[in-house]
Amino acid sequence: MNAGSIPYKSMDGVTRERVLDRALWLAVLGLMLVGAAFIFSATGANESARGASWHGYTAVRQTVAYVLGAGLVAALCLVDYSRLARWAMVAYWASIGLLACVYLFGVERLGAKRWIDLGPVQFQPSEFAKLAFLFAFANFLSRPQGELGGRGVFLKALGMAMLPFGLVLKQPDLGSALVFMPAAVVMMWVAGVPGRLLGRFLGGGLAMVALVLVQVLFVPARWRVVPLEDYQRHRLLVYFNMDFSDPGATEAQRVAARAEKANKSYNVDQALISVGSGGMWGKGWRHGTQGALGYLPRAVAHNDFIFSVIAEETGFVGSAVVLALYGTVLFSGIKIAGQARDRLGRILASGVVALLFTHVFVNVGMNIRLMPVTGIPLPLLSAGGTSVVCSLLAVGILQNIHQNRRNY
Amino acid sequence: MLVVDQINKGDGSLRMVAWGVAAGLGLLLAGLWRTQVVQGEYYRGRQETQSFRSVRVPATRGRILDRNGQALADNQPRYRLDVYLDELVPQFAAEERRLRAAYVAARGLTNALPSSFWGRLAARFSAKRTKTSLGADEREALRRAARYGVVSNIIHEVNQRLGLRVARTEGDLYRHWRQQRALPFPLVNRLEPAQVAVLTEQGWSIPGVELDLVPSRHYPNGTMAAHVVGYVKATEDPDPADERDFDYRLRDHRGEVGLEGAYDRVLRGTAGAKSILINSSGYRHRQGEMLLESPVPGAHVVTTLDVALQRAVEGSLAQVSGEERGAAVVVDVRNGDILAMASAPAFDPNGWIDGMRKADYERLLDTKMRPMFNRATYGSYNPGSTFKVVTALACLDAGVLTPEGARETMRTLGYYRLGRNHVIDDTAPAGEYDFNRAFIKSSNAYFIDHGLRLGLGPLLAYARRLHLGEKTGLRLNEETAGILPDASDIPGAYAAGKTANLSIGQELTVTPLQLALVFSAVANGGSVWWPRLVDRIEPGDALSMEAPERVREGQVRSRLGIPRAHLALVHAAMRDDVALDDGTGRAARVAGYAVCGKTGTAEVKSGRKLVDRITWFASFAPFESPRYAVVVMVESGGSGGRTCAPVARRIYEHLRDRDRGGVTLGGLTP
Repeated sequence: MNAGSIPYKSMDGVTRERVLDRALWLAVLGLMLVGAAFIFSATGANESARGASWHGYTAVRQTVAYVLGAGLVAALCLVDYSRLARWAMVAYWASIGLLACVYLFGVERLGAKRWIDLGPVQFQPSEFAKLAFLFAFANFLSRPQGELGGRGVFLKALGMAMLPFGLVLKQPDLGSALVFMPAAVVMMWVAGVPGRLLGRFLGGGLAMVALVLVQVLFVPARWRVVPLEDYQRHRLLVYFNMDFSDPGATEAQRVAARAEKANKSYNVDQALISVGSGGMWGKGWRHGTQGALGYLPRAVAHNDFIFSVIAEETGFVGSAVVLALYGTVLFSGIKIAGQARDRLGRILASGVVALLFTHVFVNVGMNIRLMPVTGIPLPLLSAGGTSVVCSLLAVGILQNIHQNRRNY
Repeated sequence: MLVVDQINKGDGSLRMVAWGVAAGLGLLLAGLWRTQVVQGEYYRGRQETQSFRSVRVPATRGRILDRNGQALADNQPRYRLDVYLDELVPQFAAEERRLRAAYVAARGLTNALPSSFWGRLAARFSAKRTKTSLGADEREALRRAARYGVVSNIIHEVNQRLGLRVARTEGDLYRHWRQQRALPFPLVNRLEPAQVAVLTEQGWSIPGVELDLVPSRHYPNGTMAAHVVGYVKATEDPDPADERDFDYRLRDHRGEVGLEGAYDRVLRGTAGAKSILINSSGYRHRQGEMLLESPVPGAHVVTTLDVALQRAVEGSLAQVSGEERGAAVVVDVRNGDILAMASAPAFDPNGWIDGMRKADYERLLDTKMRPMFNRATYGSYNPGSTFKVVTALACLDAGVLTPEGARETMRTLGYYRLGRNHVIDDTAPAGEYDFNRAFIKSSNAYFIDHGLRLGLGPLLAYARRLHLGEKTGLRLNEETAGILPDASDIPGAYAAGKTANLSIGQELTVTPLQLALVFSAVANGGSVWWPRLVDRIEPGDALSMEAPERVREGQVRSRLGIPRAHLALVHAAMRDDVALDDGTGRAARVAGYAVCGKTGTAEVKSGRKLVDRITWFASFAPFESPRYAVVVMVESGGSGGRTCAPVARRIYEHLRDRDRGGVTLGGLTP
């Protein structure tokens, strides 16, 4: 028995269990507190120096996003997820439409178009696309298991996954595009897609990855077939600690390439220094120097690299606590999947878990050089309204499945 | 386990997912352990090297004092105007944006996108759009220009407010930015009090500019005792005694000559260190300064000089012509303390601290006046007739001359013929001379005659016992030994001529200080002192419990043990030289103070031509119980009696008043 399932008597006299999964929400609350505190640590000093008014602080905006997200979760939980799933395909195509809008007239920042400007706020359609995709894909896979072995259905499923993947890849945002894949694979696996089909799909994916890596690492420029942006190639080279220059480059080119590499690996290096210098116990809240002195670039310290701020200031102990909080959320999600009323709930919950896990793994991994650098936010901790609201909605989906579970 | 028990139950596919999640989180945890705990030390080191810089902080320089505690070299607070670049970063950025916009506009390019949604939608379908992306070099040039633009505006405003003409080139700023970005950019090295008042009255409001207070070397008496005190020069060179490695060094001063140079180690103290936090742009981080090691202030050097006497000596020397080149030394005959030591012309050591104007610098290099040259210790000259005192004592010592024999007279011709065609002129007219009369008329013939009877070897030996031809052991570097020939180097054929010349103070050179020590020995009965210029070294920290390090006074170099009768004879002759109306030194006479002296006029010849005269007056007083030896030397003077004796008189007048006024030699109570 877990904390969320203590029986109680409701008004109609039927024995019911608690509506809230307490461990899940305590962990989420903990993550939100950590998020607000360390976003303030990463940005507060700089913002107060600039004389920002209270509502200009990133930490305050983040808190507003938390409250807004919580409100949306409450609204989401009013309607049974299976009713919501009927609108899944509508949401899916709407999100595809939004992604197309981004492609046509999004706001460009740092060389990528990821945002749509709605006047006072900007939002990232790719975040909503992830949720819409989860719903639509789970809905699609929740058909009787026997149908899933068919080639047509499988290809349709692949198509559903590839469409948002391709559009996000085009932004270009390889990281966000790639997170669709583990979620899709896990959902298909849990739905019961036959192993041989899944194996082929996985094999194809791995072959693709291998092709990309071989090309990036070993193939000279004119032989390259996979169209990869330069910065993506560079990130991979940094990750594998390889020279930027082609074999057979002149000495001058080599020197230039080395300088460029130092430049490109700057963020990764500084993130590693932040995390490593935190040591066992950390330097204390707001006592980290990497962000304050600007070594960890201001543009990324509070969002993509928020984990390195936390790790520097709280050390290994704090990092482990953060991982434990995520672990609680993820395992609660798996439990909820296990107790789900129907196949739809089970697949949807697994998808949510896979999506959240991928974000956590890739984001924390890039701070310690386990993963190449990608612009994937850390759920609930990275500053960014869209990401926070969507992460909370993802947890809200879990909650919805939980409160409508089998023995409810 | 509340949460992870899912691994063990439920169906197969979910269990796989649970294992996958557990494995992933475990991998992250292991990675974090490796980075933070195993390699934590390494990364902490990297973090420190990139964000800390050590700065050498020079110690406050010790003071140089006279025997009564009056300052010869002091420190005074100085206001400096600095620009703190780190506070200007927002302005740099704004200026860069402005320059960039102008640059882009000038080239007919645009980078701006319409700000509204519909505007962008329209732009999407409108005709052409030129995108600007500047190259790295262009951006760097813009940044450089932006920094200089902001700083030169500030300089302009400072100039306007203070009526200054500070100018800094873009190169100056760029060099500073490249090499010392974390330190403030110096604007005005020294602000006058009036300018500081203007600033504080107006209310200071130029951003990034701050008034910094730094200690600065100051010589309150200007040129006084400049050669003894020496001067300091700003230096940024590494201190050879400092083994530590610093990223930055704050401006320090190094003693160049004189006491400043000789006692530089002691005066300089021990530099401290501070660390500053620098941000990723290389600028200083506010509040990121930490003192690692406090500097230990330099020790004070207390000299044996007496400022009042020194001033009197320099004033007396200055009355010769105002353009004189010379030196004067006052030594306490009882212990060898140097009470005053002057060399004219002098320089103002204050001028060296911040660098001086070209014209002033060239004046210091004048080859005739040589103001930087310490004539009292570094100039060596023929002592001329003043050396007759030594000749007399040597003859008495050897018995060539006796107190009884001194009364016998000798007939002189007004010149001295040596051999067939070597004639030495005599300033004393022909006539009958006993010792006393020969001394006060400074008869060359009399002393040559006795010198020849004594012989070259004994005369040189006696001079050597007075330590002529040797350095006096003063720690100042500007010291020469003078020249005393060696008897064995002189061939027999020349011996007589050399001896004759030597007897009247030619053929050897002495420094004024050496001669003052010789006359001290004559005054005190034969004790040749090691001269003493520094009395003690006092710890620079007022709260220090360390005792001052004293230099022993009255250190005897050798004792000649001159018999009382010999002394009486020579002392009486020296007194008469001043006291009698026909004595050559009569111009040194002081009412109520019996001065004993000897004049000298050494002729500097080039071949047979007279090119210059070195004039001397060497003396001690009072006759009854000698206390002071005073030696005055003037280059290109008229004669010792006319040029130098009046200088000595003015000095003795001061000494007489000093003794009468009960002015004790304070600060030196044993």
